[in-house]
Amino acid sequence: MLVYEPDDTVAHRLDPRSKLAVQIGFAIAALAHTSRRPLLALTALTLVILWSAGVRPFRAIYAYRYALPFLVFAPLVAGLTLGEPWFDVTDASQSAAASYRVFLVIVVSAAYVRSTPVRASRAAIQRTVPGKPGQVVGMGVALVFRFLPLLRDDVRTIRDASAARLGTERGLLERTTHLGTGTLERAFRRADRLSLALQARCFAWNPTLPPLAFSGLDVPAFGLALLLVGTATL
Amino acid sequence: MTTDTQSVDLVDAEVVEQFARAAVLAALISAMAYVSIPLPFSPVPFTLQVLFVFLAGLLLGPVWGPVSLLLYLLAGAVGLPVFAGGTGGLGVLLGQTGGYLWSYPIAAFLIGYLTHRGVDLADPAERSPIALGVILLAGLAIIYGMGVPWMAYVLTLDLVEAFVLGAAAFIPLDLIKLLAAVAIVQSGRMPVGEG
Repeated sequence: MLVYEPDDTVAHRLDPRSKLAVQIGFAIAALAHTSRRPLLALTALTLVILWSAGVRPFRAIYAYRYALPFLVFAPLVAGLTLGEPWFDVTDASQSAAASYRVFLVIVVSAAYVRSTPVRASRAAIQRTVPGKPGQVVGMGVALVFRFLPLLRDDVRTIRDASAARLGTERGLLERTTHLGTGTLERAFRRADRLSLALQARCFAWNPTLPPLAFSGLDVPAFGLALLLVGTATL
Repeated sequence: MTTDTQSVDLVDAEVVEQFARAAVLAALISAMAYVSIPLPFSPVPFTLQVLFVFLAGLLLGPVWGPVSLLLYLLAGAVGLPVFAGGTGGLGVLLGQTGGYLWSYPIAAFLIGYLTHRGVDLADPAERSPIALGVILLAGLAIIYGMGVPWMAYVLTLDLVEAFVLGAAAFIPLDLIKLLAAVAIVQSGRMPVGEG
């Protein structure tokens, strides 16, 4: 699985906001083009961005392999036609190019994922979204990060217990209802304990955050983001 | 370095309670990204995230339900492995299934608003199963209504092709989740409302 790893690459030294800007710029540029030359340029740029974060291309592709079936089937579905000629190659190749750029957009995020710790992302969110909404989402993302492993364990415990009692032999509706009820009960108990703990620790709208600062490296990153947005108009 | 120097502004108790539920539910939806019940008759994985979109609206209402789903999307955007198959990153939100993901907060809002008839939380178990079923169908319509056109746009398919690729096989499974959501809400085991 691809998650944050401490390192000293170029991407690790960038401010999270410039990395997000590059990703958004990349997506805008990619979604505006399906012809061959822009796709080649975007492919090269993808490789550079992945390199800048120390992610090997195959690792990024493997991490996002779940997206591949859709992207492989899309051109097939696009090409199939009822009646002559049964398979429209032009339609299929256009959709194949579209699928390819979508995959680039997805794979590029591997660079951000490997190079950005959650608390830096949280600080970026709270410095970008002002006031209480910013506090709610910043704190919320930090809590999701904290609770994800616990709730994965809850889910696994309930599924194991159910399987041990031949729950896997039951119908789909019954299994879904059972898993949903059990996990929600546990989750809400955790939420109520969390709420008590937050209040006991003076959960406030204005806590102190880690400092973020733009460095000289961020200037070219933002320049690249703007350039990518600009290419969408070409 | 900047420091907040104003005095501490405590969050109200009711807000903390609902916020904690929204955050933990977002984590639960994330945890469900790893659960896939294999189906003997279909290659489509059976995942439970839509079930919790329904439940977010039904149990947390039209304010905190969408907040919970927004937290889920943001957590994914900043790289936590919360999307299907344990992936994360902004690219997934802009990829071929992005329309479905963006529709989740809106669907949760609609479901919450219709179930609670406004922003004050009521007990959804008091609504008839038929009414809940109709409300959840409306939510499902939002999810596919946003998911299919977005998939058609980014993959340059027409709407029928996008429906075949991204909806046809999933709708029967989502109807099972819809029935499960109604059963869970009416089980009497869910805490609802303030505190």
